[in-house]
Amino acid sequence: MTGQESPGMRSWFRSGEPWVWMNAAAVALSILAVVGILSLIAINGFAHFWPRDVAQLEVTAGDHAGTLLGEVVDSDSLDRQRYIEATGDESLPADVAMISRLLVKTGNRRLNPPDFRWVFEQHIANTSWPNDVIAIERTEWGNAYGFIEAVTTREGTVTGEASFEALIAEIEAAEALREEIVTLQRGSLQSINASLERLRLEDRRIELDLTLDEDARVAALSDTQSRRQTLQAEYATEENRLRELAGGFEGRSITLRLADGRTEELPLITIVRAWQPNALSTAGKLAHYARSVWLFLSEDPREANTEGGIFPALFGTVLMVLLMSVLVTPFGVIAALYLREYAKQGPFVRLIRIAVNNLAGVPSIVYGVFGLGFFVYFLGGSIDQLFFPEALPAPTFGTPGLMWASLTLALLTVPVVIVSTEEGLTRIPRSVREGSLALGATKAETLFRVILPMASPAILTGVILAVARAAGEVAPLMLVGVVKLAPTLPLDGVFPFLHLDRKFMHLGFHIYDVGFQSPNVEAARPLVYATTLLLVFIIVMLNLTAIMLRSRLEQRYRGVEG
Amino acid sequence: MSEHPELSALPRRRSLVDRITRGVVALGGAAVIGAIALIFFYLLWVVAPLFIPASVESGAAFSTDSSNVKLVDSSESGDVGVVMDEDGTLRFFALAEGFELTGREADLGIEIEQVKPLVPLSSYYAARSPEGELLIFTIDYAVSFDGEDRKVEPVITYPFEEEPITIGNVTDFEIWFEDSEVRIATLKSGLVTLYSFEEAEEGLPLEDGQRGRLRLEEHFDRLFFGPDGRWLYLVADDGRLDLYDIRNPRRAKHQHSQRISEGNLGLGAVAPLLGRYSLLVASGGNVSQWVFKRDESGYQLKSIREFDFPKPVTRLIPEHRRKGFVAVDETGVAHFAFTTSGKIVTSASPSIDQAGMAISPRADLWLAASADGDVETFVIHNEHPDVSVRTLWGKVWYEGYPEPIYSWQSSSAGNDFEPKFSLTPLLFGTLKAAAYAMIVAVPLAILGAMYTAFFMAPQMRRVVKPGIEIMAALPTVVLGFLAGLWLAPLIEANLAGVFTTLLLLPVGLLLLAWIFSRLPDRIQKASNGWYGLIAMVPIVLIVWGGMQLAPLLETTFWGGSLRTWLLEEFGITYDQRNALVVGLAMGMAVVPTIFSIAEDAVFGVPRHLINGSLALGATPWQTLTRVVLLTASPGLFSAVMIGFGRAVGETMIVLMATGNTPVMDFSAFEGMRTFAANIAVEMPEAEVDSTHFRILFLTALVLFLLTFVVNSIAEVVRQRLRARYGSL
Repeated sequence: MTGQESPGMRSWFRSGEPWVWMNAAAVALSILAVVGILSLIAINGFAHFWPRDVAQLEVTAGDHAGTLLGEVVDSDSLDRQRYIEATGDESLPADVAMISRLLVKTGNRRLNPPDFRWVFEQHIANTSWPNDVIAIERTEWGNAYGFIEAVTTREGTVTGEASFEALIAEIEAAEALREEIVTLQRGSLQSINASLERLRLEDRRIELDLTLDEDARVAALSDTQSRRQTLQAEYATEENRLRELAGGFEGRSITLRLADGRTEELPLITIVRAWQPNALSTAGKLAHYARSVWLFLSEDPREANTEGGIFPALFGTVLMVLLMSVLVTPFGVIAALYLREYAKQGPFVRLIRIAVNNLAGVPSIVYGVFGLGFFVYFLGGSIDQLFFPEALPAPTFGTPGLMWASLTLALLTVPVVIVSTEEGLTRIPRSVREGSLALGATKAETLFRVILPMASPAILTGVILAVARAAGEVAPLMLVGVVKLAPTLPLDGVFPFLHLDRKFMHLGFHIYDVGFQSPNVEAARPLVYATTLLLVFIIVMLNLTAIMLRSRLEQRYRGVEG
Repeated sequence: MSEHPELSALPRRRSLVDRITRGVVALGGAAVIGAIALIFFYLLWVVAPLFIPASVESGAAFSTDSSNVKLVDSSESGDVGVVMDEDGTLRFFALAEGFELTGREADLGIEIEQVKPLVPLSSYYAARSPEGELLIFTIDYAVSFDGEDRKVEPVITYPFEEEPITIGNVTDFEIWFEDSEVRIATLKSGLVTLYSFEEAEEGLPLEDGQRGRLRLEEHFDRLFFGPDGRWLYLVADDGRLDLYDIRNPRRAKHQHSQRISEGNLGLGAVAPLLGRYSLLVASGGNVSQWVFKRDESGYQLKSIREFDFPKPVTRLIPEHRRKGFVAVDETGVAHFAFTTSGKIVTSASPSIDQAGMAISPRADLWLAASADGDVETFVIHNEHPDVSVRTLWGKVWYEGYPEPIYSWQSSSAGNDFEPKFSLTPLLFGTLKAAAYAMIVAVPLAILGAMYTAFFMAPQMRRVVKPGIEIMAALPTVVLGFLAGLWLAPLIEANLAGVFTTLLLLPVGLLLLAWIFSRLPDRIQKASNGWYGLIAMVPIVLIVWGGMQLAPLLETTFWGGSLRTWLLEEFGITYDQRNALVVGLAMGMAVVPTIFSIAEDAVFGVPRHLINGSLALGATPWQTLTRVVLLTASPGLFSAVMIGFGRAVGETMIVLMATGNTPVMDFSAFEGMRTFAANIAVEMPEAEVDSTHFRILFLTALVLFLLTFVVNSIAEVVRQRLRARYGSL
């Protein structure tokens, strides 16, 4: 370096500095990508719940001329060529390069479709934000936006200033009633239906039973018949109660004046929520936001999964994952124990370890295929033949369902648990094991009282990682048990309470289905972002827990090994 | 010990617990390992029947009282057969056991001169009497249970009416019956008569029919309906064929005349294949398949394949539900063949002189009847004749295509469809998707890993490593969703921006490096190791700048629209969900996998090697490239292999970010279909144990083996690396 001037370009290149920057850029790009993806999900997901203001637009030209009332959900700009392609309007002045447009959610899908409209900004003559405009969330036909003309309650019709409060009171009453109806349907009606179905199967079983003679058969059938009649009488009573309840809200409605002046009468029983978007204070908006999040987590989906909540999907995912961890923990731990503690260490065990590691790399769809062929058709079909012949040809277990899905995912994640447990077992120093044996404990006692407790954090880490993986896997589930819409939960109040043969909903599959198989993509997309946010949040939390556990584990053992 | 009885009791119980634990653990371990092996063997077990050759075994043989048998056939379920003789008597017999169902004979009411089954319908027949009357009838095999006994009571029913239709004394006739449309065509010395009934409903008599007459200039011996009953093939035994358009039965139009056999051997047998798009023509021992096709010159039949049999073929009988056929030669031997795969799979040799023969609707039984009522049956095991190495991997000439092609089209709405099971487009798609993903992932991951392990400040590394692990934990369904619904439209709308940014990035980074080298030494020293963080803001600026610059570049270089320019200059079409989108999304999914393994490998290079190199005067970069990388190269190789294995098996991203079209196209702007996505889409609807089902299992097996082999190689390499470091 003596006697040299500042290094020239070539030696600067040769020193490698520019390439170091390229490498740094690679890391930066990856990190930016991760951060970008997470932010995109977070922003769009959280924004879904925020109550937007409702604008009143006077549109003078274009496809949607007239008065529009709705939320502005998106904006976009088209370049000249795409504008001409989209509208065929060539009258644009030559110096205008980009034309911006707004996506307005006008709702009112029944009376005034489409519910999402693109409006070019240059066609909007006037924008205002009326304070008394109402936004209504309903059980069908999506949102409605308009002004209250009148609210018809049991007492009479309310108009003017008091109408909004009357509406809110009525909605609360309607919600209580809806809950009662649902409890009735999900409770006694469903239980009676299940009993009737069991009776039908019992009849079949009697028919198929060849050991009965004629008299015994007739006696058995008449017995089931009398039981059936009792149940049917009970059912009729419950149905009557249901009809009374539903009738309780007849005639109560709200008359809404829409943007174009028409009025629509909405039965109050179909209204989930109503609010005045432009009149909400910040506290009001936060309260609305919190309630939206709660409804999202606790309600059932509506409108072909494009509205409402995702509770069944969340429940299904959690239940399946619980079942899977119950299956995978003992098997994974036992296999790891076998490999590490009991088997003779040699090339054979090394081979098995390689095989187990590889299994983590096998595509998940292959597990799905195996699950479908072996578990569902072969095992499930045999179970049906042996234990449920009276239900045939309708399959009970010979069809995708909760049990097979959990079993398949358990098989998929078993390598994760094995590897993690083995790692934990390896960290336990030999001195501890030998000390225990020297003090007279049997191998089993050493295992239960010394080894397993010391390895339990590692086991836990493994299970958490397995759970995180299973919560996000969709491909195998598409084959072994997940459906777009399940009418009932796999866990309910009807015997046998946990229905292992039922199909269920899953958060990951919900994202796929709502995002790609939905009839109304614009309406569905914010919901998909929200579901994605929830899933990513759950998985990231699980992984962070596992990482923290693992680093605490590493610190603890650094002390033990001295 | 005897003063403490409780102490002596303990060892027994404790050793029992010990032994039980050992047993349970061994059992559990073996079970898990067994389950893992089970996957492979089960897949193999499901796939194996595809490659087992077909076989035939003799079934029951017996005699009936029939004389002058005109037709023998089997019921749909294959357990009852029927023999029709010239008096119009139908006799039934149990096919498996081989006895006649006495007392169940039925009388048709007319004498039979010629009777034909209305394939592909099961148990529908049309009989012509010597007086020129045509009767359409069906046999209803009513099954009843008397306790344990299963009884079959065949009954003749008349779908339209019990009275026969008068068609006169004809040489040949054909019936077309599909979708409430009935067409009857008769041939008699130079005259073809067509009857067409548009709204024929079973249970009601045929009425309101149209009748058309076609006068022929030349002599023909047989006629057949063509596709959809809209075309007519007229065949002469000397090898001529005339094609007529009979869409309007009253105005049949002559389309084409051609020869379907050369030489003067004459035609031994002619029969249409299922769907009637193909005509099988036997001349001597050679059977050729002529396919109905349309080109610039109009409609005609073209020969696409030939089969050679040892003896001249006298009867051709098509299968009812598949594109296979049976060629019966002059010695009575029945050869079973399949058109799509071009295979002759097996043969059956009845010992009687055959007057009537038939294949059961499910193609699992071959029936041969002699004129005086002796019947022989053969059980056929021929589940997958449509699979051969050539149909799976080579080019096949399918019906309706101008030339042999690679195609994956496993199902369609109609029964006449020829399933196309070529795995080549799927393999191409899988490798294409994986290649694009690797092109994106490998540079990012390897270069990033090199920086993180070698240059990065430890504080930053402590954040980056978990950050990348979080990236690994992201479910692929989320990446796929973002790719399909956010990235794909974004790229489509900003294609020029993407390219501009790609061009600007390296240039911008070099500029950044140069600017940085000009900064005072103090700043440079302080930021050593933090380049990763420092680079973030300039990168964002470059991307933003690229997007802004794009419209200008687009107007200057690409005439306003990059997509139109690509289409006009190079003929490249643009599909919104294409390989570029998949490459980016799957690349993001694979980067963490490669990154962690590569980073571990580089980080694990022994410190003294690095220190020695630096001490000898090399710059850090030179040390990295010439010492560290070489030492860590097995680990890097292993990382790339595992990443590749991951990319090959990825399902959700491909499912959501491509159009899932099985095209074979190298273009980055076209979609593809991979093995994994194909399984996800088609498996739920595949009929269990069908060819389609087993082929899907075959693709799963291919994926399993591929990833297993790749991962094993990577794992072995990694273990050897660990050993090597130990010795260093």
